[in-house]
Amino acid sequence: MRGLRRTPAAVSPAPVPAANAAPATGRRPLRRPPARRSSRVLAICAALVSVAALSGCGAVSETAGKPTVVIGAKEFTEQWTIGELYKQALTHAGYNVELKSNIGSTTVIDGALTSGQIDLYPEYTGVILQVLARSRTVPHSAAATYRAAKAYEETRGLTMLDPTPFQNRDAIAVKPAFAKKYGLKTISDLKKAGHVVFAEYPDNMEGALGYRDMVKSYGLHNTEVKTLNIGLQYSALDHGQVDAADVFTTDPQLARGGYTLLDDTKGYYGFQNVAPVVRKGVQEKQGPEFARTLNRVDALLTDQAVREMNRAVDTVRLAPSEVAARFLKANDIS
Amino acid sequence: MSAGPVIPDYGSPSACVANNSTFCVDWFTAHWSNLFWPALVQHIELTVIAVVAGFVIAFLMAVLAHFQGWFAMPASALSSFLYTVPPLALFQLLVPVTGFSVLTVEIALIAYSLYLLFTTILTGLREVPEDAVRAARGMGLTRRQILFKVELPMSLPSLISGLRVTTVMTIGTVAIAAYVIDSGLGSLILKALQSPFNTQFIGAGALAVILALTADGLLVLAGRLLTPWARSRKAA
Repeated sequence: MRGLRRTPAAVSPAPVPAANAAPATGRRPLRRPPARRSSRVLAICAALVSVAALSGCGAVSETAGKPTVVIGAKEFTEQWTIGELYKQALTHAGYNVELKSNIGSTTVIDGALTSGQIDLYPEYTGVILQVLARSRTVPHSAAATYRAAKAYEETRGLTMLDPTPFQNRDAIAVKPAFAKKYGLKTISDLKKAGHVVFAEYPDNMEGALGYRDMVKSYGLHNTEVKTLNIGLQYSALDHGQVDAADVFTTDPQLARGGYTLLDDTKGYYGFQNVAPVVRKGVQEKQGPEFARTLNRVDALLTDQAVREMNRAVDTVRLAPSEVAARFLKANDIS
Repeated sequence: MSAGPVIPDYGSPSACVANNSTFCVDWFTAHWSNLFWPALVQHIELTVIAVVAGFVIAFLMAVLAHFQGWFAMPASALSSFLYTVPPLALFQLLVPVTGFSVLTVEIALIAYSLYLLFTTILTGLREVPEDAVRAARGMGLTRRQILFKVELPMSLPSLISGLRVTTVMTIGTVAIAAYVIDSGLGSLILKALQSPFNTQFIGAGALAVILALTADGLLVLAGRLLTPWARSRKAA
């Protein structure tokens, strides 16, 4: 800015030549050196600013001696709803709860958990092994996957509560017309389709359930990948920007129809039940009823229940908080 | 519990919502009170805190730079540097330090507001006619009296223009803050992109634009009310 390049002399009084000494001290009408005064004004205003800043940050309220539990949720529909279910069930049971929803991907929210910014969040057992533990292989049953995921989290000062009955697994979806054109039934059939463009979400490029391993283990050599955030794969398929996409089996956009799932003949995509990952120490602080409350909620989350709640948010367009409230009420939890 | 959970009937969407049409008025009005209004209030809160705190800091910097000429260069350099950092990058840099919190967002917003506010306030102070300041000094006013009675009122137009630009910019930047906190209109926009839904996306976006235009208009009005002499001069 040219306006700032002016010499200080431009605003100092004419009679007093501005020396290199502090210009303020050479002026007579002043009763006090301004430097000191401005520093006092600075101090007052610094205090004001910090008050303003603090008032804007919801200070952690501690009622009844129990610290607030901060729940996190990732950046897609199913997580928003499960986060609300946890929050409302715990609130109803008398805990102080704060929900930080839509935080981000697995790696982002895991960082928030390990750094203590959140106390727990719902995570998928297979994702823990693949994205966080970077396992080269995945177990061959849901129970074994849960055990391995829990064992891994225990090594990092975290633990896991009971898993849900439902799973939200990965699958490869294509448009029916595309499947018909090349006679596709299984993932390995994609070899028949020539050059295939895949949609994959950023979290799932590497690792035991990732795109790179998938094309290798199915021997798909003529492929290209586009990374798209969760939820955007369907419109990319619809508009022909991609030929095939990694999708979630509980996604209502999938249930809406218009997509064909290819058989995962090699069982590549493993198992994906959900369980709350909790920082150690949180349960001790909150008492035994805390885990019981969450386990009660998770026991209700069957495939059908979660699909229907996802549909309520994604298709009926009800707010996740409302969907969760009605579900808990129907099941006598609140 | 062996029978499994009770699943409530969530009903079905209206035809407009089901087709994800451009804008479904029925859905927008139905969700005004539990979705759009709270988000709008949060957006305004985040903006006001940032602009007020930013103004206080920038004002002090500008006054200091006005009294102590040497301070203008470093203050301008620092604030213009902060101004050039992309918002998303700054949010991500702050998250490890201050977390997914309002504080993170406010620090970034205040950092962005400083440059424009500091520049316009200082320019306003420096462009007060020398004669006016000399006359005031001749009347025996102290340095502080000159600042508050002569220089500040005369630099109001520049100061208001700085506030206008900063407020509108902050309203836009608060929408990006949704990457850090689940709050404000940006959160609705982000979620409507994540699970594509035009009505929520367009509704929240339009509200942000309307909010920016309204804030701008209110500041113009405030500027007029604060500088009655300017109007009387125009009328004359």
